[in-house]
Amino acid sequence: MKNTDQRLTRQDLWAIYRNQFFIRSCLNYERFQNVGFTHAMSPIIDKYYETPEEKQEIMDRHMQLFLTQPMVASIPIGVAAALEERLVVDKDIDADAINATKAALMGPLAALGDSLLNGTARPIVAGIACTLALNGSLLGPLLFLVLMAAMTLGVRYFGIFVGYEKGADLVTDMQESGIIGRITELASVAAYVIIGGFACTVVGFHLNLAYTSGDSTIDIIGTINSMLPQFLPVTLTLLCAWLIGKKKVSSILLMAVIMILGIVCTYIGLM
Amino acid sequence: MFIKALLVALWTTWGFIDEHTLQLQTTRAIITGPVVGLIMGDLQMGLYVGATVELMFLAAVFVGTAVAPDVTLSAAIATALACISGNSEVAIASAVLLAVIGQTMSTIQFSFVNVAILHWAEAGNKKGDINRVKAATYIALALDALFYGVPTFLAVYYGGDAVNAVISKIPETLLAGLGNGGGMLAAVGFGMLLTTIKNKALWPYFAVGYVAAAYLGLGNVGIAVIAVICTFLHNYFLGLIEAKGDEF
Repeated sequence: MKNTDQRLTRQDLWAIYRNQFFIRSCLNYERFQNVGFTHAMSPIIDKYYETPEEKQEIMDRHMQLFLTQPMVASIPIGVAAALEERLVVDKDIDADAINATKAALMGPLAALGDSLLNGTARPIVAGIACTLALNGSLLGPLLFLVLMAAMTLGVRYFGIFVGYEKGADLVTDMQESGIIGRITELASVAAYVIIGGFACTVVGFHLNLAYTSGDSTIDIIGTINSMLPQFLPVTLTLLCAWLIGKKKVSSILLMAVIMILGIVCTYIGLM
Repeated sequence: MFIKALLVALWTTWGFIDEHTLQLQTTRAIITGPVVGLIMGDLQMGLYVGATVELMFLAAVFVGTAVAPDVTLSAAIATALACISGNSEVAIASAVLLAVIGQTMSTIQFSFVNVAILHWAEAGNKKGDINRVKAATYIALALDALFYGVPTFLAVYYGGDAVNAVISKIPETLLAGLGNGGGMLAAVGFGMLLTTIKNKALWPYFAVGYVAAAYLGLGNVGIAVIAVICTFLHNYFLGLIEAKGDEF
């Protein structure tokens, strides 16, 4: 061991920030992001550990299973950095506590990251960007790129520096304040509005269903649309949700069926 | 064409390296489309195909370890083929198939190749060799070129003629059918996203979005603004409930 009287400097934390980008580079179905997590810890290994035996101990520790959403993975990495420092400098925690803390964070954070970043923020920005792009404007992709870059780099900055600052307290803070549940609920609110709206603006098709009696022809879809506008795309969206959620139909299969349905309906003149 | 196919393959490789490291989201079709369009010399076609493919997979969010249908490989090849043939319908329809191929490649990569790399890296732990762990991540990233770059090159370099041959024979009705199917496809993604929302009591917000779009005719930007307003209001109400505590 070396430097056992030194705390991690801002420079060390920036080194961890750079190394955490490899968190899912070697994603594998045996232990998921473990290689990336160990990679992210390399500045700490370089700073404190000397002999191969010492290094093996910390490396084996971080080679255990780890999996969460890659951007918010920065939070457990920051917390683990604080705990690793404490293990070496203050010596008042047990090494087992480090993996226990990581495990306590990864589940709730995965749900949060998936719903807030991938399920809400990105579809919103992408939806706006696509509207611009379909009008032939390069502003769409540029807007998307700038906002997404700010999001991924910002979340990771927050994770490392705030995670390090709070250390193990973050876990208790998180559990007591119920902040994760609250953010997840707010993300769900936004996602519901977006799905309800975008289903109408993005999903687009029409069915030629007409009912002819004598001389008069009634356009069935047109009649329903006059009461419930855009009811076809919304119905299809809800149907897909039901099939995927309740009937466990594979989404890939569903996509294939829909493409075939589009072709068949066009041939029989329904579309 | 050799240079163009090479550049498209390089961009696809970068897209996967980005997805596996920084996650600037250059992976997504909305970026990949225009970039490939620029390489192929038809930026407007790139914008159109990119945005269309992006919308098809907009909400196709996979939770946890499940691999999502791949948008990078599909957007890159579909855009390139659209630029070569000048026909976007066939290219966009092929995007669905390409997305599944990309997804399969990723599954193979994560299930076998990266597991092998993991064991190779771990063998170095006994010597305390942290550089081997770093090397493992770099090797995994380098293999992205093999898994995604090479297929992209082959598809763009050799696929153009094949697509042109197919397009000249394909009947008009089938083309229209592919377009109609593609128009419905985004519903699957939105359906998936709906199933990931656990708190079903919040469903009235779905109605808010629907009314805004269907009855008021708001576009995507307007809907996004309403979503932000609803989130702030909901946060305010949650705060009220918390402040009142048990009185509620």
